[in-house]
Amino acid sequence: MNNNAILVEDLVYWYGDLLAVDHINFSVGNGEIMGFLGPNGAGKTTTVKMLTGQLRPKGGRAVLLGYDVAKHTAEVQSRIGVCFEHTNLYEVMSALDNLSLFSDLFNVTDFDGYALLKRVGLSGREKDRVSGYSKGMKQRLMVARSIVNHPQILFMDEPTSGLDPVSSEAIRNLILEERERGATVFLTTHDMWEADKLCDRVAFMNEGRIVALDTPRSLKQKYGKRSIIAEVASGDGQLNREEIALDEEGTSHAVQKLFGSGKVLSIHSEEATLEDIFIQLTGRRLSV
Amino acid sequence: MNLKRVWTLIRAEILHGPKDVVLAMAVVMPILMALLVNLAFGNIFTQRAELGIYDRGESAIVEILAKSESVSLRYYENETDLKQASASGAVDMGIVLPQDFDASLPFGKIKFEAYVWGESLAKNREVIPIVLTDAVRTLAGSELPVNIEAVALGDEESVPWSSRLVPLVILMGIFYGGLMIPSSAIIHEKQRRTIEALNVTPTTVGDIFLSKGIISVTLATFMGIVTLILSGALSGPIPLIILVLFLGAIMATEIGLIVGAFVNDINSLFAVLKAGGIFLFGPALIYMFPQIPSWVGYIFPTYYVVRPIVDLSISGVSFSEVLVYLSVLVILVILGAVLLVAVVRRLSTRALRLGS
Repeated sequence: MNNNAILVEDLVYWYGDLLAVDHINFSVGNGEIMGFLGPNGAGKTTTVKMLTGQLRPKGGRAVLLGYDVAKHTAEVQSRIGVCFEHTNLYEVMSALDNLSLFSDLFNVTDFDGYALLKRVGLSGREKDRVSGYSKGMKQRLMVARSIVNHPQILFMDEPTSGLDPVSSEAIRNLILEERERGATVFLTTHDMWEADKLCDRVAFMNEGRIVALDTPRSLKQKYGKRSIIAEVASGDGQLNREEIALDEEGTSHAVQKLFGSGKVLSIHSEEATLEDIFIQLTGRRLSV
Repeated sequence: MNLKRVWTLIRAEILHGPKDVVLAMAVVMPILMALLVNLAFGNIFTQRAELGIYDRGESAIVEILAKSESVSLRYYENETDLKQASASGAVDMGIVLPQDFDASLPFGKIKFEAYVWGESLAKNREVIPIVLTDAVRTLAGSELPVNIEAVALGDEESVPWSSRLVPLVILMGIFYGGLMIPSSAIIHEKQRRTIEALNVTPTTVGDIFLSKGIISVTLATFMGIVTLILSGALSGPIPLIILVLFLGAIMATEIGLIVGAFVNDINSLFAVLKAGGIFLFGPALIYMFPQIPSWVGYIFPTYYVVRPIVDLSISGVSFSEVLVYLSVLVILVILGAVLLVAVVRRLSTRALRLGS
């Protein structure tokens, strides 16, 4: 037994001739928020399906909370929560009935549907049919369903995709609350800003392989180029934009020269985003 | 397999399933079919057996029979008219009462000569002798032995359309619901992706299949009984008929679950049902068109559901005469169960969970 909530060793999966997940290895610590980033088709969903017991790995193993998922699927599934990207609620039921059904399937003894729906901002609409809900409301209900069994590991697949800022913020706050409770969060997202803000560590996945895995700060330090951007007035009254790369040999001299001109109007620093780093590592954009 | 989870799924399906159009159709269609057949060919509004009487004297038994709620009486002036009515189906049975009928009662054994319409329903042939015997004993005031010698008139080989359509109605009742309910329920779970949400709970493929199967078997058996009642064909050994309906419902459900496991959308389900419809409803054609040799029925699995029911309820045969068909039906149900278990295991092994 160790402190890893998730331990993945040499995990492999293929569909016919397509190698979807190519011998990946990683671990996620207890109480950690791990971001899993990559473009469509990178193998993220297949990996999550193997971790959550929906797919049997073709090779390697995934150990969650000390249980091999393929061998102890029910034990693992009773301890995890999954929030899907696509809405998959029972739309003819009310929100309360949806939660009640899943609390019964998980054999939850202290189920309080009203309190749970209040947490996701759905108070007052508990008994309404889900088919009448907006996309944001449905997504918040999906999040509520994923935590109905007080999971030790919470898998969230694009939980804020296509949502309004208010709903997105509510879901991000809930993820942080779950981490405070002690849950480990495995977050799959395209949203670099969200990953940067929420995740303790992020893994970049491309063509079935993990190409980088570290804290956002470390990734930026390791792969990103820092620079300063200055707006400088030219002699003919025009504004010029000058960029000086930091961490390079001539940086000090270039900065002295810039300020010595006396024409600097504004200056700010700029650091690489996770998107920039992903492009640098894979040559692909995350949103593709 | 976890029975608590199975019950949870059943409860949710019972509470929210009726909002589903396919489920509503599975209930409404067979009932509509049975009602249409009955409206077109009789039975539902003509429940009572028709008894024709030619009374040579003025027997008091006629008054007793007239009070019976099980038969309707028709009176004839001569034996020729009575025989004609019996031969044409105007009455199910015709009896001639001798001039000294009442006077002969104290002397013992009573013998009736009865003309029976060859196409009359078995239940009517059963009801009339019972009513006659009761009436004789009421009149005599003692438990006299009553012997009815039946003379069949008309075409005994021919079957009335109301009876010919009963197999179709039975098959609709059992197989439309028994097959559609579990298959459409599983397909809806796949199409609406709710199956994915179930797949990440401790619920197993077996739990999901069992819950849908229990609902389907229950409803299909119930629908079978309802359609038989509406067709006026629920007579004879009722517990045995219900057992056959139950076995038929299990067979229908097994097929429905297997189809549901492999078909991914409702349109494809209807296409499969259209293509496979002949295997389900083929036996109904054999009953509708008697010129088709009856051995053709043996190649259809559903024949072994329809045949015992028709034999028991309409033809009035004994248990031993349907034993062979029942045995084949039991074997088919067991084979279906084995196949279904293999499918569930395959789904569970290949992709741990259904729908992945």
